[in-house]
Amino acid sequence: MVELVFIVPLVAGALAFFMLGRSGRPLLVLTGAVHLALSVYLWVKRPEALFPDYFGVTPEGLLSLIVISLLFFLISIYTQTYLARSAIQSENIFTGSMLLFLSTMTMVTLSDHIMVMWIAIEATTLASAPLIYTHRSAASLEATWKYVLICSVGIALALLGSVLITVAMDVGGVESALSFSSLTEKARGLDPTWLKVGFVFILVGYGTKMGLAPMHTWLPDAHSEAPSPASALLSGVLLNCAYLGIFKTHKIMVAAGLGGFSGMILIVFGLLSILAAATFILRQTEYKRLLAYSSIENMGIIAFGTGVGGLGAYGAILCLIHHSLIKSSLFLTSGNLLLGFGGRLISDTGNLIKEMPRTFVAFFAGFAGISGIPPFGIFIGELFIILGAFRAGHYVAVGLFLLSLCVIFGGFAHHAMRISFEESPKTVEMKESITLVWPQYGLLLTSLILCFWIPDTLYQTIIQAVTIIGGGF
Amino acid sequence: MNQPADAILSLVLLSILFSFGSSRLPSLIKAVAFQGIVVSLVPLFVGHELTAGGVIFTQVTLLIRGILIPLCIYMAIKKVRIRREVEPIVGYHASMLAGLALIVAAIAFSRKFDLPGIGQYALLLPTAIALLVAGMFLLMARRNAIAMVLGYITMENGIYLVGATFSVRAQHIVEFGILLDVLAGVMIMAVILQNIKQTLDDVDTALLRTLKE
Repeated sequence: MVELVFIVPLVAGALAFFMLGRSGRPLLVLTGAVHLALSVYLWVKRPEALFPDYFGVTPEGLLSLIVISLLFFLISIYTQTYLARSAIQSENIFTGSMLLFLSTMTMVTLSDHIMVMWIAIEATTLASAPLIYTHRSAASLEATWKYVLICSVGIALALLGSVLITVAMDVGGVESALSFSSLTEKARGLDPTWLKVGFVFILVGYGTKMGLAPMHTWLPDAHSEAPSPASALLSGVLLNCAYLGIFKTHKIMVAAGLGGFSGMILIVFGLLSILAAATFILRQTEYKRLLAYSSIENMGIIAFGTGVGGLGAYGAILCLIHHSLIKSSLFLTSGNLLLGFGGRLISDTGNLIKEMPRTFVAFFAGFAGISGIPPFGIFIGELFIILGAFRAGHYVAVGLFLLSLCVIFGGFAHHAMRISFEESPKTVEMKESITLVWPQYGLLLTSLILCFWIPDTLYQTIIQAVTIIGGGF
Repeated sequence: MNQPADAILSLVLLSILFSFGSSRLPSLIKAVAFQGIVVSLVPLFVGHELTAGGVIFTQVTLLIRGILIPLCIYMAIKKVRIRREVEPIVGYHASMLAGLALIVAAIAFSRKFDLPGIGQYALLLPTAIALLVAGMFLLMARRNAIAMVLGYITMENGIYLVGATFSVRAQHIVEFGILLDVLAGVMIMAVILQNIKQTLDDVDTALLRTLKE
């Protein structure tokens, strides 16, 4: 039953490659709906997997799965109109890759075996590569090349890290299945030196995919070159999948009593990413690259929070959920900007409030949410992370963290004001149909509701996910 | 050096030197193909008992690592007919010297570890480390996109060597999944290579510099 959730999009994706013309579009929404239904079923029932050695339902996996599912469903609705309005060659490859991408990401969230996790994460790279190359331009080719090569090499290091964890089992004389859950139980017996080396390789490997600096160089290119629905998926959920790999390994480390070591590394990489984003965000000239750097910032915040632990870990999960919801809505909105203004430069746009009022609402609300303006979810998450870091005594780190957040807010606000209110170089004659704005509204409303009311089952699941790494209140 | 495993591992080390020194792409591909074949044979000579499944899996690995993956790259360069050699960032003679230094360093470094079960194979750990670093070296020292892909494959071979010999537990189905991922990855890279050649009329990655910051 559990496996069905990724088999359905896998089959649909394989089918979509053979569906010519526009016939693949309804399949996208249909699969999205079925996937959402299955994910909700998994959430409620939490059944056992058919192959419990390889797959399992874990709280952190469920959190990612439900986000992926909701996002994909809304994005698939948006994609209908987007495809109709933009000239995309060989649509069957686009829809097929989107569905395979969904399937592989679902597999990441459900895999419990270290190696299966690796296989699934590498498969997400392969399934999403054709999406980045959709526009068939020299720039998109370069972005795809960078993406595939950098991520494959990075993820190869994560494979080495996974193998080194099995070495830690051999040296420590531990008999255990190679699953995260069983290793977390028996973590005390693992050889600490090899485990540490393994963690470092896994962090660098999956960190490349997650967009942590200094391995983030592929991310702005890939996100800006991919068509907007694909960018929304890349930024909204793919990064979370890579984070899941790091999170689960961090759990093993904490259970082995090495949480201080792995936490410190996470804090350092997190801070580096936030600082890198702060440096680059100020001088961006393209709005999609601006959003991509903001993703790097948020991934840094999440890694930082996870490293801090305690209240910070809870904040990190909140940030993870809200970042997915808000950032994917912003990327969809950037698709509207591209359709309306016809250019990717910030200077191509302007006066959004008059030119495209409905899109403006989605854009500005998304900007407010992602910048951490209270009372949005990112603000609450960041507040928890800062409190957690103070409790843990990382004063210098918090100082750098706050400083970078201020710089990023300033940079982002400057660009957002330019897009929203300043003179536009041209008038937009695009009709903002319902399907081009309501998916974004849906995502933002979900985020807004979660700020004021977290359902008890969601709260319990987050707490279950973070208790092992010492998270919670 | 009284183990057959060490004898064939020394062939892998030679293939590293050969790949560092070859300026022509076909010979570089041959070096990596040879490396793939030898690396997939190593589990037959190392340690644990061979099962029927293990033998079949070794053959599949050989087929994919030694034949299919190099063939993909070979087809890609045949189709795009690359004549001009791209000047590497680090020259071929300097690369050879670096390769020798790398092998010495890998042997010296691996003496520090005492791993259970593989102690009698003197060259196993050094070869794995040398392959990993050699792959990264090719990725960094060559501007030719094809040589970079071959560097990635070399790295993967090194990781395979670590995995196939150290962790007896890894189930074949999982190993097979990893292998398929690598194969699919190389195939996608081969497709991108063809497109790079068609779009830019070269495979020099210095031309891929339009996207910045």
